[in-house]
Amino acid sequence: MSTETPSQPRANRFGVASARLILLLLRARAILVLLLLLILFSALAPEFLTANNLSILTKHVAITALLAVGMTFVILTGGIDLSVGSIAGLGGMVAGYLLTQGLSFDGVTHFPPVAIVILLTICACLLVGALNGWLVAKAGVAPFIATLGTLYIARGAALLISNGKTFPNLGGTASRGNTGFPAFGQSFLLHVPTPVWMMVALFAVAWVVATKTPLGRHVYAIGGNERAARLAGIRVAQVKLATYVFSAFCAALVGLIIAAQLEAAHPATGESFELNAIAAVVLGGTSLMGGRGSVTGSLIGAFVIGVLADGLVMLGVSEFWQVVIKGVVIVVAVGLDQLQTRLEVRILPYLTTVRTKEGHS
Amino acid sequence: MSQVNQPAAEVILEACNITKRYPGNVALDCVTFRVYRGQVNVLIGENGAGKSTLMRILAGAEKADEGTLLLEGRPVALHAPRDAAAIGISIVYQELLALTNLKISENIFAGRELCRAALFVDQETQDQRSTAALNHLRKPMDVSIETGRLSLGCRQVVEIARALDQGSRILILDEPTSALSASEAESLFEVIADLKRAGVTIIYISHRLHELLHLGDRFTVLRSGRVVGEAIRADATRAWIVERMSGRKEGAHDTSSTSSPTRTVVLTVSGLTLPGSVGDEAAQAPVHDVSFSVREGEILGVYGLLGAGRTELLEALAGLRPIASGVVAVRGRKIRTGNVRDALRAGMVLMPEDRQRDGLFPELSIRENVVMAAKTGLFLSRDEETERACKLVAQLHIAAKDVELPVTTLSGGNQQKVLLARCLMCSPSVLLMDEPTRGVDVSAKAEIYGILRELAAKGLSIVFTSSEIEETQALAHRVLVLCQGRISAEFARDQLSDDGLFAAASPSVAAAAGAALARPPGGTA
Repeated sequence: MSTETPSQPRANRFGVASARLILLLLRARAILVLLLLLILFSALAPEFLTANNLSILTKHVAITALLAVGMTFVILTGGIDLSVGSIAGLGGMVAGYLLTQGLSFDGVTHFPPVAIVILLTICACLLVGALNGWLVAKAGVAPFIATLGTLYIARGAALLISNGKTFPNLGGTASRGNTGFPAFGQSFLLHVPTPVWMMVALFAVAWVVATKTPLGRHVYAIGGNERAARLAGIRVAQVKLATYVFSAFCAALVGLIIAAQLEAAHPATGESFELNAIAAVVLGGTSLMGGRGSVTGSLIGAFVIGVLADGLVMLGVSEFWQVVIKGVVIVVAVGLDQLQTRLEVRILPYLTTVRTKEGHS
Repeated sequence: MSQVNQPAAEVILEACNITKRYPGNVALDCVTFRVYRGQVNVLIGENGAGKSTLMRILAGAEKADEGTLLLEGRPVALHAPRDAAAIGISIVYQELLALTNLKISENIFAGRELCRAALFVDQETQDQRSTAALNHLRKPMDVSIETGRLSLGCRQVVEIARALDQGSRILILDEPTSALSASEAESLFEVIADLKRAGVTIIYISHRLHELLHLGDRFTVLRSGRVVGEAIRADATRAWIVERMSGRKEGAHDTSSTSSPTRTVVLTVSGLTLPGSVGDEAAQAPVHDVSFSVREGEILGVYGLLGAGRTELLEALAGLRPIASGVVAVRGRKIRTGNVRDALRAGMVLMPEDRQRDGLFPELSIRENVVMAAKTGLFLSRDEETERACKLVAQLHIAAKDVELPVTTLSGGNQQKVLLARCLMCSPSVLLMDEPTRGVDVSAKAEIYGILRELAAKGLSIVFTSSEIEETQALAHRVLVLCQGRISAEFARDQLSDDGLFAAASPSVAAAAGAALARPPGGTA
């Protein structure tokens, strides 16, 4: 750090400013891509920006977004949850079974009311989430393997419930007192679909937890340095368990929504949904190594994936090309994430020397 | 608050008859360790003596198999770090386990966040208290910046601030100066003196004897999991400590019998400059226009403070970092820069600073660790590997029962020798060593110095970096001093002095000139 020439500081100012700008653009890349896609599709397909279409679009987005919000916490701790798609499928089947087959006690079949059905379904899914959490946090199984295992377990269980068949007609019958389930996915509140409200509510809760509560801090701490977190007195196992249970809760909602929308439960529902959720989280700038990222980013990521999918359909792009394009977007997003990390490593130390020096003087 | 000068000091914490067994060895064997109120209690011992294990037990990070802990005479049970924190015991670990992705204030309150409405983090109060604690330590910092951006010295202060805010009565510092530069260490000593004045009891662990003698009030020496000596300040001398620690008299330290290098130049470096940070190429280059040469059999020391560019320089020579400009040549052969394999082929091999992170493969055996860099051909010959590894293990006096045991069963000094063995497997002509004895105890240090001198006498050229003046003086034929990426001085062996080295390494003059530059361009406050 020498100041032989007066031109040097000016060069620095320019260099640092442009570096900051690049970093800012990289950090905001998800929202930039989203805006770009919105402009592109509304220019190419006039019907894209209609209220009706946007309503359908957000309904689609809500599915990915709900899973992504739950997934964000798991990934922030440095884990991964591959089982969410299967849990959603299992949730739908449990609800379908309870609505159409009921529960038998002493040879008498009872049909629980819809609220109880929903509650039992969520409980069943939370059990799978707790199994994930227990395997990862207590048994020390690698998250990828543990949740890969529960992915198969939950999917198998979903198939076993109906022997692979679909439960149709989930509308319920008045005589059994279990009507009204489809409203879970089909109703509107203030002209906005209920699932979208769920997404908004869940996002709000998740945002507050992540940014304002000790639990959120602990999630980031664990992802940053698990050993240090443990030695700082953070209950690492419990926090991890909580993230997997929450992720399963989100998956349960998705399973219920889809079953309610279709008024039918199919055991293959939710296949590969986990990949969409992970893609949304990564697009939103959350590091797969844990410790860095945000719930907001994941929400934006979910919108990017949803807008891309629906927009390509409206443009009449072939289904096969859609898959390729989605893949390209994900790879580019992860590439940019690497670029951002590398740039930060190079830029931040400089910005810091400046700031700590100030602090000392 | 009993600031008593007369040794009528009372015991605040006592670890009674602590035994801790690990598979294969007994780390602590019926150890009784007394901690005196308001004093600096020094714990000394070689690596593997059991110091860190004992401290982890006191901090609740590990449980003893047998024995009890008495706090002010009452038995306490520590099941987790938070239990120790609750009764006022905090620890600053050697590795500085900061949560680098969180802010300073978030680090200070990690695991014990202050809450508003029993639900939300009270960030404002946390910031205020963090700022207050740091001010108290006379190290004001902006508590909203990420801890990962701080220097190691500042991270350490942050951890001490955490302990301070917890209202800790007993603060354990595990080798606090091992990662610090001389000036950072100085300010740490001031902090310790302040804390002591405030009545905080300190437990201090270090390898650096001059530090210990300067700071300590009470001395306890551990050897192989047993307490082998206790003394108060008046009775503790350097000779006494060394004798207790190693079980033999000091003095076998030969610094004079160094061979002299030949005339042949092996390594030449000219105009080496490394790329700097984005947007600030000139001022921030970690290494700037560095030229030097090394002769056959010469040991060249590179001295400098933390951040002077020592590690960057060696990593660039070893091909781990891209180079902005400059030429590196071994025996006249120009190295393709930024290419590790080419540097290896030319006979230049780096022994990294952080053996856990960059050196060892902890899951693999000693043999596999030694032969890792030397594997050639398609298939591996187990017999040949074993033979060569055993030869080096014997040559370097690595204290291993069996070369098939995991490398982590060895002590720090022996692990370091395993790394050295790996470097020698490549039959190098230039050995680059970054902090050759970091985290190594006194007697293993002397042994490693002996080995290096022997190697140099056989014609190996060695370039090593060190932040320890003692080490630089003990080992080097010639010393280059780096200051902020530039060579600021060169000393021949007989010109070396503490003051000279230190003055050349201190960037005070340059820092004053750079103050104008340090204003944030585009600046957030």
